Amino acid sequence: AGGGRIIDTIRKWYYNAAGFNKLGLMRDDTLHEDDDVKEALKRLPEHLYNERVFRIKRALDLSLKHQILPRSQWVKYEEDHHYLEPYLKEVIRERREREAWNKK
Amino acid sequence: KRFYSLKVAPKAPLSATAPKVKLSRESQDLEITKLPNGLVIASLENFSPTTRIGVFIKAGSRYETTSNLGTAHLLRLASNLTTKGASSFRITRGIEAVGGSLSVHATREKMAYSVECLRNYVDTVMEYLLNVTTAPEFRPWEVADLQAKLKVDKAVAFQNPQVGVLENLHAAAYKNALANPLYCPDYRVGKITSEQLHHFVQNNFTSSRMALVGIGIKHSTLKIIAEQFLNIRGGAGAPGAKAVYRGGEIRKQTGDSLVHAAIVTEGAAVGSPEANAFSVLQYVLGAGPLVKRGSRVTSKLIQGVAKATNHPFDVSAFNVNYSDSGLFGIYTIAQAPNAGEVIKAALNQVKAVAQGGVTDADVTTAKNQLKANFLMSVETSKGLLNEIGSESLVSGTHTSPSVAAQKIDSVATADVVNAAKKFMSGKKSMAATGNLGNTPFLDEL
Repeated sequence: AGGGRIIDTIRKWYYNAAGFNKLGLMRDDTLHEDDDVKEALKRLPEHLYNERVFRIKRALDLSLKHQILPRSQWVKYEEDHHYLEPYLKEVIRERREREAWNKK
Repeated sequence: KRFYSLKVAPKAPLSATAPKVKLSRESQDLEITKLPNGLVIASLENFSPTTRIGVFIKAGSRYETTSNLGTAHLLRLASNLTTKGASSFRITRGIEAVGGSLSVHATREKMAYSVECLRNYVDTVMEYLLNVTTAPEFRPWEVADLQAKLKVDKAVAFQNPQVGVLENLHAAAYKNALANPLYCPDYRVGKITSEQLHHFVQNNFTSSRMALVGIGIKHSTLKIIAEQFLNIRGGAGAPGAKAVYRGGEIRKQTGDSLVHAAIVTEGAAVGSPEANAFSVLQYVLGAGPLVKRGSRVTSKLIQGVAKATNHPFDVSAFNVNYSDSGLFGIYTIAQAPNAGEVIKAALNQVKAVAQGGVTDADVTTAKNQLKANFLMSVETSKGLLNEIGSESLVSGTHTSPSVAAQKIDSVATADVVNAAKKFMSGKKSMAATGNLGNTPFLDEL
């Protein structure tokens, strides 16, 4: 429990140091789009997908203007939902199952 | 050099006491139990090397409403989608790996999921069967990908004009329930959602509307499986609407040179006293060829219509029984220019029977044909499973083939005449497809 709190503090510091939250992005918006992520994105419910597209568009716009959001609009560590994680986990599990079957 | 022997082969002495070889053990009798939650379990242990198990559910297209038409069709195609216990990939590969097969067969009143495999692998395929029937997940993306198959399935089925005529016939004859099409209507393709599928399964796949039937498996095994796994949804689910016959007509004008027409009245429900009489009447009138390219001597319809026209045609009696209604009538296929004569001649034949123009010999011939057809259909394990399952769903009991044959024999000639009278006097429904210029309307017949 105690060790957990220290790790958590380090995580929070790293999250803020990484800086994508200043562009209004969540962690799952920044994932590299390999095949698994592409398949998981296909399975996202529509509202989550639209929100992701909006955030990425806003970040691209800020990036070209060399600006960042005002501090009140930065994504907080506690509010960062890993929305893609369950779908991604399922895609990877299915891929591993397929590979295991094909190896037999 | 000779390649034959001049000596005659010695005769092996026929021993009357040589042990007879038995190919397989004698089949046991069919056992049938009804659990307190309404589930019916039936099994026939015939010691065959393959096992066939079916889950029959009262959940056909009649249980759809106008807001979710086509759900049963999509459900039929969705049997291999991911379930809570196994992914779609695993179901397909798992069943293939043991050499089994999973298939779905659906009518307007019931759906039947059946698996077939070698005896040793029953546990594996049972796991998949139970997953598919009790715990499907209907993941939205899988359901969306599946909707394209609806179109293919429909196109393949409608290559046969009979399918279209029968869909129209049911839509014309009934107001609700049985009027629902077996195949998804075009406007609904792409619009059926995962929630609607879930809803349909929740409301209809309940224990009291299911029957678990096995051929080649012990009754005790089936019972344990049913008590442990098929208890998921209790209760009677949403009740289906009672089918209301209305008697209408639907005509579909196409450019086909052959006119398919079906004219029916309300017939007998399954298990009702008139059901057998209508079946015998169907065979008296003629219900399909018995000798390939034969002259159909025993079919009254064919003989009657042959006198009215010398163009190619086909006509047979049409009989179908549902749990609370039925349809009985004639189905004609004629060249477009003389469709009217063919239909009128066929109806006159039925009128002749209704006026008593049928001999006891005709009725006996028909009874024999009907019995033979029925007994031959339950000779295969697939036909037998279907028969046991359907009857378990409707009544929870099983009629042995010999008792069924006796019931057919007990139909009297008077019953057949009464059935024909019922057809002539009942309100008729009609469905016709083809170039309908010379096809009469219902009120012209």
